[in-house]
Amino acid sequence: MRTVLVVCIGNQLVADDGVGQVIFQELAGYKWPETVRVKFLGLGGIDLIEELQGEDLLVVVDGVQLGFPAGSVVELCWADLPATQGRPVSGHGLGVREAIEVTRKIYPERCPKEVMLVGVEGRCFDQLGKGLSLEVAEAIPEALGRIVSLAGCKPRPLFRTC
Amino acid sequence: MTTTIKIDPVTRIEGHARVLLDCDENGQVDEAHFCVNELRGFERILLGMEAHTLPQVTARICGVCPTAHHLVAAKALDNCTGVEIPEAARLLRELMYMGHVIHSHALSLFVLAGPDLVFGLGGDAATQNIVGMAEKEPELTQKGLRLRTLGQKINEVIGGRGIHPVTAVAGGLSFTISDGQCKRLQELSTEALSLIQDLFGQTRDLLLGLFDDNPALLRQLNIPTWYMGSVNNNGGLSFYDGILRVVDEKGALQREFPASDYDKYIVERTVSYSYAKEVYFDHQGSEHMYRVSTLARFNVIDGIDTPLAHREFEVFRERFGRPCHNAVVQMYAKLVELMYACENAVVLSQSSKIKGPTRVPAPMKAGRGVAHIEAPRGTLIHDYEIDDKGIVRAANMIIATQQNTAAINASIKQGANALPANESGEKILNGIEFIVRCYDPCLACSTHAIGRMGLDVEMRQGGEVRKRIVRGKYA
Repeated sequence: MRTVLVVCIGNQLVADDGVGQVIFQELAGYKWPETVRVKFLGLGGIDLIEELQGEDLLVVVDGVQLGFPAGSVVELCWADLPATQGRPVSGHGLGVREAIEVTRKIYPERCPKEVMLVGVEGRCFDQLGKGLSLEVAEAIPEALGRIVSLAGCKPRPLFRTC
Repeated sequence: MTTTIKIDPVTRIEGHARVLLDCDENGQVDEAHFCVNELRGFERILLGMEAHTLPQVTARICGVCPTAHHLVAAKALDNCTGVEIPEAARLLRELMYMGHVIHSHALSLFVLAGPDLVFGLGGDAATQNIVGMAEKEPELTQKGLRLRTLGQKINEVIGGRGIHPVTAVAGGLSFTISDGQCKRLQELSTEALSLIQDLFGQTRDLLLGLFDDNPALLRQLNIPTWYMGSVNNNGGLSFYDGILRVVDEKGALQREFPASDYDKYIVERTVSYSYAKEVYFDHQGSEHMYRVSTLARFNVIDGIDTPLAHREFEVFRERFGRPCHNAVVQMYAKLVELMYACENAVVLSQSSKIKGPTRVPAPMKAGRGVAHIEAPRGTLIHDYEIDDKGIVRAANMIIATQQNTAAINASIKQGANALPANESGEKILNGIEFIVRCYDPCLACSTHAIGRMGLDVEMRQGGEVRKRIVRGKYA
């Protein structure tokens, strides 16, 4: 069975940037097989490097701004992940793509064999304390379905809901 | 006719700032202003809050030095309530702090400044970044990033979280340490010390190589100022505690005082061009520009208590003297402090005294609590007035970067005037940004934009744009 790491990224304080956190909470409510790890990271930068353990598949879950209608769920492979331009402005300026490129060079054995992004197109990324936009909240079941399908297994709910 | 040059924003520092240069008719920089664009409202936000929440709330001021705010707020509450915290709590807080210093200094040296060390100044921005660095120096990058992670993990074992810790409370620490945690702290600290010993020589050589390749940096960036930093009972380097020592521009001792007396000597002033206040040291009625930071600490201390760092400190002082006014050299001093933090973490983690009770009752009462800590970027002071119901009625914070603003302005003015007028735009940008970065300012008070922002520099004469240097998103 192939190993999978699902990394959810986001900031729950900032409107649609919180979608990764909300999805993480949903994912954490399931019992996953031992081959699948689900993690939450506030930022997808340097800390991602330490999380990687040479998985067959890395699934990055994040709110995105790619120009689709809000609430669209997009699945992108590694080659299509957008890169941050040039030098980072600060310690925050290192993106997922850069983190994986750095990993490829310093810990080649830890690099995931395949990387997929499950992104939810957001409407608002600059309002503090606002919560998710309606379209983004409504897109969460579809995003969960994509993640489960990519992970290639059916997790069991930890708690029975009525 | 005057010229205004604007650099907005400066990259690879924590937070965002812009630089304004006002030039006279001969093109010489008349005044330089390092401007903080964000308003930090914390001194007002805290009013009316319950005092016992201060360590948790103030940790959120900054994602770069959260542990400094977290611990100094807890120390201020200890002082206000008049309790003596148990020794285990004191040592564990200090160990948490060493983890934070390792994290912060490793990030600053290997991620933010690393590309300058590996590629030199004036390289291609497209490759002069951490990805390019990993390509060229994979082992250095791997060890540097690992060191940062180890610091964060030490911070996490004691603080409960790697960033924004939660465990320091008035009266000590909210938990006692288990044997398993103790063992983990020893492993993390030992690995950190072994890594810094591996990294030290190569990093120092890269730094000295950078100085050799750019002799102007050492020649020009010498702004004589006073310095302030903490020392322990032996006059040694001290991050978590100690008294404040101030030396003048010749290195002569001018004053030693407990942080609770800070308002007798430190004068704050608001300025129109920036949201950060300027700070001066008042000595016998006259105001002196002073600096805090790694370099300031190295100018006030007599030595370092751990053997490896002390040996490197002596090499440093032999070469750069006391006081050393050169902001560029700060990166070297930071490397020595990184060695100290790793050595001290090993000592603390192996002490049997970290086990045992960590908390005494500290009921809130009306009063004033003042405390300080050496944040990675310099002395940080918190000052609170608390009423009889335990509510915060007044809050004042002296942050490292604001104490350095006057010196940053003086350095930019000097550095900009030294740049040849016919230099390329990119070189001018890099040169001035480099000066600002040497001071390692941290403006991460409220918000962060993520990713790279553009730069737009206009040089004007008589209102007309004579030259425009643009890169990034404005291009």
